[in-house]
Amino acid sequence: MDQPQTTPVSARCQWCGNTFTQVSALANCPRCGAPLRVAARRDDGGWTELPPVADMARIQFGASSVQIEGHSVPVADFKLGSGNHIYFSHHYLLWRDDQVLMGQMSLRGGITRMFAGLPIFMLEAHGPGRMALSRDEPGETVAVPLNPGQAVHVLEHKFLAATGQVSYDWTDLGIFFLVRKGNNSDDQDYVYPIGRYIDVFRCEKEPGLLLLHCAGNCFLRTLGPGETLLVKPRSLIYCDATVHLGLHFEYPRHAGMLRRRHIWLRLKGPGRVAIQSCYEGIEMENSPNIIEPFGSTSRAW
Amino acid sequence: MTTAQTFIQCQWCTTQSPLGTPSCPSCGAPLDSRNVVSDSGWTAAPRIRDMTRIEFGSSTCQVEGHMVPVADLQLGAGDAVFFEHHVMLWKDDSVPLENLSLSGGVTRLFAGMPFSISMAKGPGHIAFSRDAAGELVVLPMHPGMEMDVREHAFVLASYSLEYSFVRVKGLANIFFGGEGMFMDRFVTRTARGLLMLHGYGNVFQRTLKPGESILIEPGGFLYKDSSVAMDVEFQKIGGAFLGGKAMALARVRGPGRVGIQSMYHHHHQDRK
Repeated sequence: MDQPQTTPVSARCQWCGNTFTQVSALANCPRCGAPLRVAARRDDGGWTELPPVADMARIQFGASSVQIEGHSVPVADFKLGSGNHIYFSHHYLLWRDDQVLMGQMSLRGGITRMFAGLPIFMLEAHGPGRMALSRDEPGETVAVPLNPGQAVHVLEHKFLAATGQVSYDWTDLGIFFLVRKGNNSDDQDYVYPIGRYIDVFRCEKEPGLLLLHCAGNCFLRTLGPGETLLVKPRSLIYCDATVHLGLHFEYPRHAGMLRRRHIWLRLKGPGRVAIQSCYEGIEMENSPNIIEPFGSTSRAW
Repeated sequence: MTTAQTFIQCQWCTTQSPLGTPSCPSCGAPLDSRNVVSDSGWTAAPRIRDMTRIEFGSSTCQVEGHMVPVADLQLGAGDAVFFEHHVMLWKDDSVPLENLSLSGGVTRLFAGMPFSISMAKGPGHIAFSRDAAGELVVLPMHPGMEMDVREHAFVLASYSLEYSFVRVKGLANIFFGGEGMFMDRFVTRTARGLLMLHGYGNVFQRTLKPGESILIEPGGFLYKDSSVAMDVEFQKIGGAFLGGKAMALARVRGPGRVGIQSMYHHHHQDRK
């Protein structure tokens, strides 16, 4: 059993890099919730498994905190301090008390977002008060603390909540391919393997907290400058905005008449990337009518 | 919490067991660990350990697995349980099944509730499981208790329980909340009974004081004591662009217990 700690000791979280002084033996990083007594487990392929935030662990931000509860579909239970606020999609609200003031956060490009299947507004919750959010699939809550000047790209529908210091925007990275409707048709459909748009979260002046939901388990990796990696498109959760994304088409040897094809997302460093172990496949991955877009890469084995 | 040197009281269902018993024989909660309570007052449903046995009447229920747990019953002679037919997993050849006749059949049909309830009689084995990741919640019921349960959330109930359904105030509930107009109601008269639910994701319970209230997303509601009042309130969202769209929240007001599940499908979600 650990002995009570009486003298302040400087500690560093191996997951978010946060340095803090602990006066008592902390079990979790107060900024990202990662267990501090769990050694990083790196697989042979270079990925590090993010240990799940322990049941009832607390993450601090400003005068507020969020407690992560549960193990299969975790609940993010916020205690919002006065003057603090968070924003989220209204689908994720589980419960709230009467004290919390709810507001609406308008987003640019409402009609475009609506046609892309994205929420066209978010709800804001202002402290003081308590409220909780949860998602609709088993997985883990991933806390991404952001420092001033830091930005991350997040796949659609991975977002759970962000603190008021984090700005939200969205962009079109041009990740798509075309599918002809019929062998000789000029009529084409656009297919977006990672969704039409990608969410962009950025901190300008103050540090903030971003909470994401990953389906299954979460694995992290930091790519060096120019280092590339192929991942299945819908396994990506988030990456630093410095990571370049593109499509890669691969044709296995001896595929014969089937002309099987694998569609990958090519990631090029520098920056952090995070993937989830549970993801959906891409429809029409093996369609003979796919047209590889300009700028993509391919390889036939 | 110990009440005497030789007994330990279950924190979940208050049943007393001899000191040293690893899990509560009435609800399966581990007796060697404390309840997990959040800062906001929600108690996590006890994580029933794999292969834990729960006793009721002359029967036992063994809880197996942890992601989508199975309730594996060894029914004693003279004991019976009732359930919705789609939760059955397997059974012995010798276990007879029959339909329970229910009042208000047409009303139930239109409300999306099961039109008929099945019943299995002992002796023999029969097992049940649901269709998504979650937790089994065991609620031993003492005489004189009334519980309201989200429709389709109950896995099984012992035959000593009375089963009916109640209407939730506010017709709008059926359109906005996704909870529907009706909830299952389970009542004990003079005999004890066992009620077993399946909550999607993780399950949390909170006991509201008289007059205390909170707002819950209707999809997250799982169960409540019948003493807890439930009404529908609307949170305006979307502004003028959506013509003043509103989301429904359920206001639950004490006294009594209320249980929620962390995973639900919002009936108006537009994600793909």
